[in-house]
Amino acid sequence: MAFLRPRPSRTEYLVRASRTLLGLGLLLAGALPAVGLDAQQSSRIEPIAGLRDNGSGYHALVGARVVTGPGQVMDSATVVIRNGLIAAVGKNLRAPAGARVWDLKGQTIYPGFIDAHADLGMDAVPQGGDVGPTHWNPQVRAWFSTTTNLKDDSTRRVALRSLGFGAALAVPKQGIFRGTASVVNLSDAGVRERVLRADLLQAIGFQRSFQLGGMYPNSAMGTIALMKQTLMDAEWYIRANAAYEASGRSVLPPERSEALGALASVVQGKQPVIFQTESEEDYLRAARLAAEYKLVPWYRGNGYEYRLVDVLKGRTQPLILPLNFPDAPDVSSPELALNASLAQLRHWYLAPTNPAQMASAGVSFALTTDGLSTLTQFLPNLRIAVARGLPADKALAALTTVPAAWLGIEKTHGTIAVGKVANLVVTEGDLFTEEAAVRDVWVQGTRYGVTRPPQIDPRGTWVITSDDADGFKATLRLEGPINRIRGTIEREGRKAINLANVRVVSETGRLEVTFPGEQLGYEGTVLMSGSVSGEEVYGWTSLPNGTDPSFKGTRSEKVETAARGTVAKKVPVIDLPFVRPMMEYGRASIPAQPAVVLVRNATVWTQGPQGRLENADLLVRAGKVAQVGKNLTAPAGAVIVDATGKHVTPGLIDPHSHAGVSAVNESGFAIVPEVMMGDVLTHNNIWMYRQLAGGLTSSMVKHGSANPIGGENVFIKSRWGSLPDDLKIANAPRTVKFALGENPKRSPNRYPNTRMGVQEIIRDHFLAARDYEKEWKRWEKEKTGIPPRRDIRMEAVLDILNQKLLVSSHGYRADEFLALVRLAQEFGFRIQTLQHGVEAYKIASELKDAGVAAVVWSDWGAFKLESYDATSYNARLLIEAGVVTSLHSDDAEISTRMNWEAGKLLRSGLDEIQAMSTVTNSAAKAIAIDDRIGSLVAGKDADFVIWNGNPLSQFTKAEQTWVDGRKYFSLDEDVKLRAEITRQRAQLIQAILTAGAPDAQGGAGPARGRAPGKN
Amino acid sequence: MTFNSTTTMTESTKGRALRLKMQRVATRAMVAALTASASVLLVPTAADAQVRMTVAPQSEPVVLRGATIHTVTKGVIQNGTIVMERGRITAIGGPEVAVPRGAKVTDVTGKHIYPGLIDAYSTVGITEIDAVEVSNDINELGDFNPNVRAEIAVNAESRHIGTTRSAGVLVAFSTPGGGVISGLSSAMSLEGWTWEEMSMKGAAALNVNWPDPNARPRRFGGGPPPGFPGARAAQPAPKTYAEQVQALKDFFAEARAYSDAVTAGQQVRTDSRYAAMIPALKREIPVVVAAEGVAQINDAITWAKEENVRLVIRGGRDAIYVAERLKAENVPVILTSTMAAPERNYEGYDGAYNAPAKLYEAGVKFAIAGGTGGLYSYRLPWEAGVAVAFGLPQDEALKAVTINAAEFMGIADKVGSLEVGKQATLLITTGTPLDMTSNIIQSYIQGREIDMNDIQKHFFQKYMEKINQQKKKVAM
Repeated sequence: MAFLRPRPSRTEYLVRASRTLLGLGLLLAGALPAVGLDAQQSSRIEPIAGLRDNGSGYHALVGARVVTGPGQVMDSATVVIRNGLIAAVGKNLRAPAGARVWDLKGQTIYPGFIDAHADLGMDAVPQGGDVGPTHWNPQVRAWFSTTTNLKDDSTRRVALRSLGFGAALAVPKQGIFRGTASVVNLSDAGVRERVLRADLLQAIGFQRSFQLGGMYPNSAMGTIALMKQTLMDAEWYIRANAAYEASGRSVLPPERSEALGALASVVQGKQPVIFQTESEEDYLRAARLAAEYKLVPWYRGNGYEYRLVDVLKGRTQPLILPLNFPDAPDVSSPELALNASLAQLRHWYLAPTNPAQMASAGVSFALTTDGLSTLTQFLPNLRIAVARGLPADKALAALTTVPAAWLGIEKTHGTIAVGKVANLVVTEGDLFTEEAAVRDVWVQGTRYGVTRPPQIDPRGTWVITSDDADGFKATLRLEGPINRIRGTIEREGRKAINLANVRVVSETGRLEVTFPGEQLGYEGTVLMSGSVSGEEVYGWTSLPNGTDPSFKGTRSEKVETAARGTVAKKVPVIDLPFVRPMMEYGRASIPAQPAVVLVRNATVWTQGPQGRLENADLLVRAGKVAQVGKNLTAPAGAVIVDATGKHVTPGLIDPHSHAGVSAVNESGFAIVPEVMMGDVLTHNNIWMYRQLAGGLTSSMVKHGSANPIGGENVFIKSRWGSLPDDLKIANAPRTVKFALGENPKRSPNRYPNTRMGVQEIIRDHFLAARDYEKEWKRWEKEKTGIPPRRDIRMEAVLDILNQKLLVSSHGYRADEFLALVRLAQEFGFRIQTLQHGVEAYKIASELKDAGVAAVVWSDWGAFKLESYDATSYNARLLIEAGVVTSLHSDDAEISTRMNWEAGKLLRSGLDEIQAMSTVTNSAAKAIAIDDRIGSLVAGKDADFVIWNGNPLSQFTKAEQTWVDGRKYFSLDEDVKLRAEITRQRAQLIQAILTAGAPDAQGGAGPARGRAPGKN
Repeated sequence: MTFNSTTTMTESTKGRALRLKMQRVATRAMVAALTASASVLLVPTAADAQVRMTVAPQSEPVVLRGATIHTVTKGVIQNGTIVMERGRITAIGGPEVAVPRGAKVTDVTGKHIYPGLIDAYSTVGITEIDAVEVSNDINELGDFNPNVRAEIAVNAESRHIGTTRSAGVLVAFSTPGGGVISGLSSAMSLEGWTWEEMSMKGAAALNVNWPDPNARPRRFGGGPPPGFPGARAAQPAPKTYAEQVQALKDFFAEARAYSDAVTAGQQVRTDSRYAAMIPALKREIPVVVAAEGVAQINDAITWAKEENVRLVIRGGRDAIYVAERLKAENVPVILTSTMAAPERNYEGYDGAYNAPAKLYEAGVKFAIAGGTGGLYSYRLPWEAGVAVAFGLPQDEALKAVTINAAEFMGIADKVGSLEVGKQATLLITTGTPLDMTSNIIQSYIQGREIDMNDIQKHFFQKYMEKINQQKKKVAM
């Protein structure tokens, strides 16, 4: 109530101001540096048609609580704006003469927000595609500029501004190399006046845009391969053009590409890139790529950063976090609750703590509206983030000073200080802790109204009476925050009842309520409306009996509650220790590697020269097998495992798996050896835990079979709890996937379409790689002309020919495989393995002679025509012919029980050691890694399994699985993990039910679905 | 656990045909033969021309002596004797059992005899190659097909019949799929020249697919969004769960009205679909309801009580969560995925493996079915065996693939255990058929000593010969 306190006179203002001048460090308008009126006007290029329209541009915002920057608050302060800039700010500052005065008593002013990753929609896909010499791949649009394409996108700009944003980084969203992002202001000025920093950085995304067309890439690893090749091409493009110029233009210029030209400053480290990540894996992949290609990386985060808090700690690259908190899993019935996974539940609970966790880890970050399904979620989610532990000043910094500094506009933006641009947010209430309303947003000195304050406040106790027929006397109580008024009505002598609905139409002073009539003696709903005028109300009701008595009332008591509801944390505190992966059975840490482990008194299947020993011991030192024998001794402090009556085998190996990768097939080209499965591993892979429980310690994760030459495979160990790169077996042999037969000819409209074509396209690429090699050799010698470009696909094919990249080929039929073996011989190299090989037995001798190993199933068949001649004697026949023979799963589920797959071979007549070899030593040999794993021989990795009986029996299970001398699985630990999962799930489900209960909205995101009326 | 490769059946087993057969069959004996005495056994013979011969119905009494007989229902008989005549078991007991005149007596001392295993849910004979659509006769068009009957589509020459028998599975319920009411499964004995000869019960059980309450409208998974090249056509809005259940109830109501009219002798316009429902409505055959989730199983039980039909739950992934009710309402379950990964990440890695043990402890009656796909009925023993590794007593696992399957599906009077009067459908083995460390030596189906060869062994024989020829070439 501003009029209650007498205003100081003008002179008083001046006196106070001069007294506090130095103390507050204020500069008055007249003392401003040169960036003033004249400079602004002279930079205007467009001539003015008609009369000039110059408002005063001179404003004084008085009486507000001014948050000048994170942690800097002045109560009852004044902000003076002149010609778009802040001319003065201070406590008790007099409004200068000539300034329009805005009384903002009771309101708060923040510096205008900056969205460091705004989706400003300036890159709709052009009809008919891009024109000009851009790039062969429509997903590479590095040339696209958000500045040159800036247009008046008023809807989204106004929506952003209404949330408090005055400036934003406009980021393009189409393609993989998406183009350059620019900093713009969000005023209504014309496009020429809105650009603050043009083409600041290059945006890169891991999701291609279907709208842009093109076949390649259509997978995660293809996308990364395209990124690598394009960055290399950009570097070459610089050299190639330089060579062209150096030749005196005596040769033809290199192929023109606007995209490669635009990437020059990126590969030279002059222009940063911003990776748009959608998952924690994307972050890790982007960071690896940036390191490898010496880029200057920024990251648009994904909401899962809390899962990488240990990795992010200490990193300083710009990180821009979305506030995309998930809806709670539906747990409204026991059956539905049964289906809520711990990973989902945890993410629901922890996602709102993501910014807080980053803050407490000391990771600096900005916040963005990007990633929200609607912009209206932004402020509520921001408050949830604060309620869940993000300090409000950090939140403000993440919207102001932090992005300002990163975007290079910190001298003009980010705080409320003299000389800075007048970007301000005026709110009623604390924007970070209360359900505050944004009233005005100022951008470069122009005010944009957002909401108007309520003009009536009907809260309080009203006595209302009606003298009509069916009239009544009642007490109406209205309370709660003004935007969510609730209340009761109590008819004389009866119990008070809750109002069902209360609505205030501020502009007209209208109050509307509904409530059930039962307590008042009516069956049905009572409708009531009234016009509030000061302390009086006049209105009428509609009763269920059809009468509509009018009433009048007076306010007997006003309520003294906060104007705005505060946002509270509505979820209980739950102990959710950090685990990796952050899902069921995740580990708090990697298991320790004891210096010495002695497994005692077991039947040890060494699968090496020592054979199978009864009552034997296995000695492990520092993760390696030290010795197998009887009555071994261990030094004091060794971990002793009594395995009396148990069997010990090497850890099982699966040479063909597709589990634990983000994508399997890159089918955009028929030949893609440049794509790498190692680029797309994920640690969020529950199969790995199940594989450990089934004794599997190593696998080769393979590209799919859509291509005659597919991607490069990756060897991993079941190091459950590690990040993707730590799963890889260091310095393992490199292998590449080939595929023959039905699958590679299945892609419509893509050569090949026959087994003949498969053979020919492989041959043609072998020949092309030899030509590529020749071109490079010539250039290395002569150094004339345009230098050849490095082609990662051709280099991979060359590696195949030189047997640096071992071929592991999918195939079923004998004919197609024999043809590949002969083709390789023609080019002078050897195929490493035939995989699947349902008909391998038909060419067993030929395989033996060609030195090819076979990797087959125990008993799969008849699922397609080329698998019809399956026989469970396949492995047996291959072994009879002397072929190195392994089993494989090609299936996540089967990879969890490879011992039983081997057991099935007993019925084909193999002996037990032979059968076991197909999942241990022979498996390792088949994929050329038998120098490291596959047998319990001194010096090899201590990967082993302890079984409760003969591992080939259907009645046996694994009790412990060790990898690198670390116990990654045991039945005992499994029991404990299950108990912990049960506790966490139960508590999280209860938390959802609590958060979703009536009167607890807004605590942790809506418990079910979206709030009504929104989207 | 090494295998004794020297034991073969004794010489009292007469006849060249059988000896040849045994040579083809005794796989581990073959290891010894191949490695020790080269390839004498593997000259290409008539075996190439006849992968799997069908033998004549039993004409003379056969007596097996000396084995450990696992009757399943009447305990284990050491040094047992079993007498088979005209396809049936006529006597069973110890050494004292009399040998009928003219009987062929085989000494199988040291071996075990088990009833032939039964796969309660199979597609053997009605599908050949999964991805070759024309070779599949499983899913008829439309939602309600109670009248289609699997037996008439069973290809007696299917390759998978031989491999299934080799795993000890001698009876399979070939079962149609698809729609809401898929059709009638047929109990097929896996020996015979024609489906007619194989069929034990053509209309053995009515199959219902319970709707999925959690089914979501299909989204574009990985493909381009609607409206872009290559996008999938928009799907019509699926019926809700409640609508689908109501449609099933309506169909049953119509069928019941039809059945009542027929019973009352009223003139009706014939309807093959409703007519085919009558045995199920009259509780003469079970109604097998495919249901996996908790809500599905519960709702199916409620429905079956209302409809007063003989309910068998098939699938039963979540049966452990409904165990108390399944027991109280006496509803049996055919588990179809024992050797499987758990449905939910938080469930133990052994969540599917240990489900039979948990159901057993809870007192629920259950059978275990084999793998899906034409080929994979032969995985039936492993599906049951895995339950043993995770806590189910071995004899209960055996019941789950013999007598329990027979009882639930209404053929326990014929097969499922070794008892006098039942069909002589049995296995001679070196140990339990549920573990791969043991071998099946010879099987009998309705007293016929069947040809143990199959396509997989055939390829083995043929290509072992190729290896030997090539080795010889190298030696020369």
